[in-house]
Amino acid sequence: IPQLVSDVPLSTSQFTGLELLTGMGYFSNTVMYYGGYSNHTVASSSSAPYNTQLAYLLTIAVYLVLCGVSLIYSMARSFQSNYVLEGASGGAWILLCSWDFSVTNERAVRQRKANLTIQLKESLSEKAQQDQLSSSEKLKRFGVHLGTWLLSTGLAVGASAAIYFLSEFEQKQAQPIEGSDLLADASTLLVPFVVSLINLVVPLIYSLFNKIEVFSNPRTQVYAVIMRNVFLKMSILGILCYNWMDIVAREPNTCWESSIGQALYRLVVVDFFFLLLGSFFGEFLSNVIGSKCVPSLGVPEFDVARNVLDLIYSQTLAWIAIYFSPLLTVIQIFKFFILFYVKKVSLMRNCQPPRRSGRAAQMQTIFIALLFLPSFVGALSMVAYTVWSLKPSQSCGPFRDLDKPYDVVEHWMSTEKAWVVWIYERVIRSELFFFLVSLLILVLTFFFWQVIKGRKLLIIQLRQRIANEGKDKGFLLEKLQNLQKAKKSSANKRKTRTKTNQRNFSNRQWYAEPDYNQTPESHPAPVMVDPASSAPSALIQAMLARQQAELEDEYEPPRHPAPDSPPSAPSALIQAMLARQQAELEDDGDY
Amino acid sequence: MGGTTSQLPKDLLSEYQELTFLTKQEILLAHKRFSDFTREGRNSPSPRVPMEKILTLPELKSNPFRERICQVFSTSDVKDGSLTFEDFLDLLSAFSDSATLEIKSHYAFRIFDFDDDGTLDGGDLEKLVNCLTGDTDDTRLTQEEMRQLISNILEESDIDKDGTVNLSEFQHVISRSPDFVSSFKIVL
Repeated sequence: IPQLVSDVPLSTSQFTGLELLTGMGYFSNTVMYYGGYSNHTVASSSSAPYNTQLAYLLTIAVYLVLCGVSLIYSMARSFQSNYVLEGASGGAWILLCSWDFSVTNERAVRQRKANLTIQLKESLSEKAQQDQLSSSEKLKRFGVHLGTWLLSTGLAVGASAAIYFLSEFEQKQAQPIEGSDLLADASTLLVPFVVSLINLVVPLIYSLFNKIEVFSNPRTQVYAVIMRNVFLKMSILGILCYNWMDIVAREPNTCWESSIGQALYRLVVVDFFFLLLGSFFGEFLSNVIGSKCVPSLGVPEFDVARNVLDLIYSQTLAWIAIYFSPLLTVIQIFKFFILFYVKKVSLMRNCQPPRRSGRAAQMQTIFIALLFLPSFVGALSMVAYTVWSLKPSQSCGPFRDLDKPYDVVEHWMSTEKAWVVWIYERVIRSELFFFLVSLLILVLTFFFWQVIKGRKLLIIQLRQRIANEGKDKGFLLEKLQNLQKAKKSSANKRKTRTKTNQRNFSNRQWYAEPDYNQTPESHPAPVMVDPASSAPSALIQAMLARQQAELEDEYEPPRHPAPDSPPSAPSALIQAMLARQQAELEDDGDY
Repeated sequence: MGGTTSQLPKDLLSEYQELTFLTKQEILLAHKRFSDFTREGRNSPSPRVPMEKILTLPELKSNPFRERICQVFSTSDVKDGSLTFEDFLDLLSAFSDSATLEIKSHYAFRIFDFDDDGTLDGGDLEKLVNCLTGDTDDTRLTQEEMRQLISNILEESDIDKDGTVNLSEFQHVISRSPDFVSSFKIVL
């Protein structure tokens, strides 16, 4: 920023419209690129001298560290909420019982019905696809999978090789150009154009594969598509980076950092245009075609995965560019802003919600992890490699006469106060410190891993216990039913239809009693509880209370993992109680 | 019939409040809404409103279970779904905020039990799903899907494996669903 404030040498060439696209020419000498920064310390009017070199390096470092920290934080948060809540799976019954009775709007009711249908169908299809296949089917599927994977990797490798040769070709072409020749500038657009084209076309080919192969699980299908796309994009980027690092950086006498910055700028801009066009053609036209011309195709769905991957790709470009062309982030901000609103409008107008809604939380984890791992770490390593080992160009940039950009930190260290140097030397650069820290982290990780394993086991046990409780309850209630039927047939049936008041009153009183006295009503008309049947119900109440108390006593022992002992004890108890019940039934039958 | 709306006598009001889960205001509001229907035939002491009129209430008009609700709460001998005022209060009480889980699940069971036999068998479940998934052809489930869905439901909730869901199994399933109490609600 102080660079902007201080005097900047004016550009020598004219500003034509093409520069917006190519980023060369006028922009070459401005603050936009690395090359525009001076290597002197700007002596500002008021405070201490501003060391441009150090500022440049440190700003970038701080920014990258902040990005990394926020990424890790959000990854951890979504990971936690995703994995912890995985246990509560829905089930059809829960879906059915969640109908909201207070909805009165006609359209809302219809919409809810449609949603419920979709959810039911989805849960059905998930369950249905877990059935077994014959082995020949499996073999065939495996063969198809293998074929498509090979094909997709082949495509990715082919695309990156094409890019490599193309950039080499461009390299050779670009050698003798000095002044601004419009055609030559426009030809530099070739590489980004091809890159974006590949990024657009090949995922479409991948989605064609979807029609051929059948996955057992819709989720693995989405994962496979994502993996392929990521591999494609990362390989393209990798080839480009390699090209830049190895070849361009070795060029003598040119401002290679700026040229890399320009290439990145071109990539970003062309990518932006392609995304806009893609959303226009892909969604708008498909909508028009789908609704008017060929109605059988239907309205296009909004493909979340593809859009997010595009976003990750452009963000990776911006991260790589942070070193070579710092102002690209501002452009990136504008680009995302515009893109967001365009996509939003397009979404509202054109697309219908995707059929497989749901699993959004898990997808978010995957996407953030994806954002972090390949792209951020890749960009970080590239920048680090540049800072640490490559020789900066002689003619431009703030690190002009140093051997490595990192030397500036070394110089600074040698001029600073003692305690800073001490921290630097002992803490950041000493191997012993890092060794101790990593040892500590390993021990903590192992400890937490054991805790997680124990908890998982506990969850399984608790679930088993709930299922067993349900079975016990059902069994006992069936016995109760039989008992009640026996009682009712012996006493005389008086269906006393009292007035509504009394019925309400009795209902309320009945249900105000404690929880475990649930007598099943075998017919819907509410019958007054005649006193003859209240005696066995009191007896049963007592038995259930005793069972409850004994079950609560059982809670203390299974603290250590012993999965077999808790479920068997209540069943023994039930046997005893049933025997007792049987005996009492015979007693009751006597009078 | 002029402007004479019958007031609810105070002792009846307090009695209703004690016997149901509704507050005084809710009972008075219910009385007012109910008298709109009975303004015409004011000859019997506890007038009985036919089902068609009850179904014109906006809260019930688009509910997929409206007919079942009226039939469940009706005390008429001919089972035509007509409600007296006390039946109406019963209905509102069961669907109110302060009714307990047992009451709600009991009445939900009776509402879902389309053939009134005390258990939810396959036919009841099928009618239930059809009520909830809509009447147009593209939202209705196919036969195959329906069969699969019903077998899934029975597998999940039929504890004693008799092919039907009785009240206690139903209540067991309900107790695992956290938002049942808040969604089983109709407020005037």
